[in-house]
Amino acid sequence: MPTPSWQDFADLALKRIASSGAEYGDIRLVHSTAQSIRGEDRRIASIRDTDDVGFGVRVLYRGGWGFAASSILSLEEVPRVADLAIEIAKGSASIAIEHVALAREPVHRDRVVTPVRIDPFTVPLGQKADLLLATMDALQAQSGVVRSAAELWARRDRKLFASTEGTRVEFDLVASSGDCTATALSDGRFASRSFNTPPLRRGYELIEEAEFLKQAPRVAREAVEKVQAPAVDAGAYDLVLDPEHLSLTMHESCGHPSELDRALGYEANYAGTSFLTTDKLGTFRYGSTHVTLVADNTEPETLAATGYDDDGVACQKWDIVREGIFTGYCTNREVAPKIGAARSRGSNRADSWGSVPIVRIANIGLEPGQATVEQLIADVRRGIYIEGHGSYSIDQRRYNFQFGGDAFWLIENGKRTHMLRDVIYHGITPEFWNRCDGVADRSHRQRYGFITCGKGQPGQSGWMTHAASHARFRNIQVIRGEGRA
Amino acid sequence: MTPTGAKPWPKMTSREEFQFIAELVMACSTADHTQVTLHDQDGGTARFANNQMIQNVNMRRGAVAVTAAFGARQGTASTTDFTAGALRETVKRAEAIARLSPEDPEYLPPAGPQVYNPGPTAREETLAAGPAVRLEYANEAIGQCRMENLSAAGVVSSSRASVGVAAGTGLLAFEERTEARFSITVQAGDATGWASSAHRSIDRLKVQERTLSAIHKATLGVEPQELPPGRYRVILEPAAVAGLWSWIIWTLDAKSYLKNTSPFAGKLNELILDAGLSLENCPGHADLLGVGFTAEGLPSAASRWIHRGVLRQLAYDRFTAQAQQVATIPTIEAPRLSLEGAAASSLAQLVKSAGRAILVTNFWYLRTVNPADLTLTGMTRDGTFLVENGEIVSAVKNFRFHESPLRAFQRIEAWTAPMEAVTSETGKMLVPAVVLPEFHFSSVTRF
Repeated sequence: MPTPSWQDFADLALKRIASSGAEYGDIRLVHSTAQSIRGEDRRIASIRDTDDVGFGVRVLYRGGWGFAASSILSLEEVPRVADLAIEIAKGSASIAIEHVALAREPVHRDRVVTPVRIDPFTVPLGQKADLLLATMDALQAQSGVVRSAAELWARRDRKLFASTEGTRVEFDLVASSGDCTATALSDGRFASRSFNTPPLRRGYELIEEAEFLKQAPRVAREAVEKVQAPAVDAGAYDLVLDPEHLSLTMHESCGHPSELDRALGYEANYAGTSFLTTDKLGTFRYGSTHVTLVADNTEPETLAATGYDDDGVACQKWDIVREGIFTGYCTNREVAPKIGAARSRGSNRADSWGSVPIVRIANIGLEPGQATVEQLIADVRRGIYIEGHGSYSIDQRRYNFQFGGDAFWLIENGKRTHMLRDVIYHGITPEFWNRCDGVADRSHRQRYGFITCGKGQPGQSGWMTHAASHARFRNIQVIRGEGRA
Repeated sequence: MTPTGAKPWPKMTSREEFQFIAELVMACSTADHTQVTLHDQDGGTARFANNQMIQNVNMRRGAVAVTAAFGARQGTASTTDFTAGALRETVKRAEAIARLSPEDPEYLPPAGPQVYNPGPTAREETLAAGPAVRLEYANEAIGQCRMENLSAAGVVSSSRASVGVAAGTGLLAFEERTEARFSITVQAGDATGWASSAHRSIDRLKVQERTLSAIHKATLGVEPQELPPGRYRVILEPAAVAGLWSWIIWTLDAKSYLKNTSPFAGKLNELILDAGLSLENCPGHADLLGVGFTAEGLPSAASRWIHRGVLRQLAYDRFTAQAQQVATIPTIEAPRLSLEGAAASSLAQLVKSAGRAILVTNFWYLRTVNPADLTLTGMTRDGTFLVENGEIVSAVKNFRFHESPLRAFQRIEAWTAPMEAVTSETGKMLVPAVVLPEFHFSSVTRF
């Protein structure tokens, strides 16, 4: 008897769902391979190679959802799991008040492949380990640096999505990233400085282009300069934020509140709700006229550009904020009709075969403006230039936020001067974005992103890319992130 | 309970089956040392919002990881396929990685045979619970909120797992674990109330009691007044205490301590907190989620970490423990925080004795601001109140805090006995509710 193919398993599950009387069902079969190499203090602390295969079946029965998944891929297990998903859906339907109705989507037949120049899984392990060891050596060659870390990561997801509506999409997706960190010690204080590639749907060429060995001496020098820098004086400053830093600011204060499931209360018990309630759509002034935030799940190499989401909806590009006005949400087929949308935005993603897809932040980016970074800084009398990610925290409606950064420089009379430490700024989301009075031009645009965005119960890790050019914000409250200041 | 009619799940991996897997792995391994770990889990979650189910899921996932070492070169490979061919392939992958790896100066062979104290890690009622039981508990919570015309969001989850660690050194650890969780957020207009629980037994989640507590909080939370940021006396409920103490526990690692990149650097055996405070590990406690052994197969044991305010213990990896001649590595997966002296009989009693204070139900999105002194930030959430003359006089808008628990817990004015505490960002702990004389709220939000 020939070994059954994924298509055979999919057909088996979908036939059972169709014969159960369910109005909709789908199956995702996923084979994920991942490799992480982690270095710490000039040693390779772990090399881990993960091979993860399984499938998840989702059923909508009389307006109630059921989902079951298993890592056992067999002719016995697939129908059993499909039956369980049907039974669970019937249970959900039995207590439903409002019945789920899905937005329509054309049937798709496609294959999506990440183009890579260098397959990260074919690069010799020794070459990768040597790169990390050399990077950590370079970091710790700097006097004052006492600890170092470096990491490379790659993942490949082969997936088949098939639905009772006839959609069949095969995926072969790759993502890579790398980072390194130096920790410096001085006068009983310690501080870290990092360099990282954005996680992107690219191959090992991403790591080669990053030139870790060239970056390491600068990172180490800045770690020492940072720990020895004067602490910031609390007060109001103009801030010029670099694209990497902005990726987190956009993610937390724009991305999450634009998830429609949050606005509708689905995440009220964990990740929270949203101040961007549905009555604000199309009218609410989220930011200044300089602020246009576009969701683009079609941009090549970005994490959320997977061709189709886990609803089988084609990836799209749309506005979240246009010249300061809140205009759009991230949606899936379930929640889109609740705001009168005829079609989902295609932002429903699961982090594995074992997770049910949920609304996820799209690749939301800040549209470029007209200035250069130098022009943004030149027009600042007393300000701070911030690079990278640091401490971050935001309330459950995404109003009150507090962000640090990885590196800070004082701006005085239009000039970037020396480094500062312990810079923390805080504000209220729409007030902050309304203080944006300049964005740098497209030549400064860079992409960063996340593979660890936590949401859902059970928790899932979302992937998305956020691109931006540098931007300036006026009169932002800064506090000192230490002691009792 | 109403059975769903679904067929029973395949049997979870038994001790004998794990031993068979381990023997198969060892037999085909050519490495100097080989370790195999098992995590085979079956469980699910009933998730509701706006008083109805939004997700209802079940997942079975089994994984075996093999770590192979040649001298001090090691590699790990894992698989979700338990067939003999896949396991042999996984051993080959681990060996291939190990052969290509640089030598790890901190490598140690797997531990040898250990003696374990079997604990109450699995409960029959949770082993037997499936989607129908979870749905029934969820429906119970929803029903209570509907009766009050309030909106509920929350989860009921349960899982069972077979966990094992074995090595060619004779190490063999195996146990079954069960876990159940419940949490609920009740919305009354713009106000929210929250409660949660976790237990090895799904029948000990106290769904009705917790739901009533969340309803009470939500009802009290309407029309919050805005107070200015500043330093306030606070009454922290157990979940809020657990949120702060999780960060203390996470930063107790010995390697950072020895490299002076720890907030505790130089403070071992010194008074670091209120002299009445003690933190201990209680793996056998029936109301905690203790386990019999660590991921490396080392036995969990009762241990004392902070005693009467004095830091007595650090968290060691095996290499650092050997270098520091620490014979038995302590674990802290079942923390219990307590205070010596007369405790208030209940949270209500604590409120009565507090004078003017801010009562905090829970904190949210806690993050490090300054790792050197463990200054943290975060928001109050789902029930923040002003207490005056021993009574809750109003809800207040949520605050952001900017504070180090190492400062805040220098002096504790009043406390209760340890109570169960679970948050969305931490595991389960037993901690008291406390009154702290001063806590720094740095800003306020819009609700």
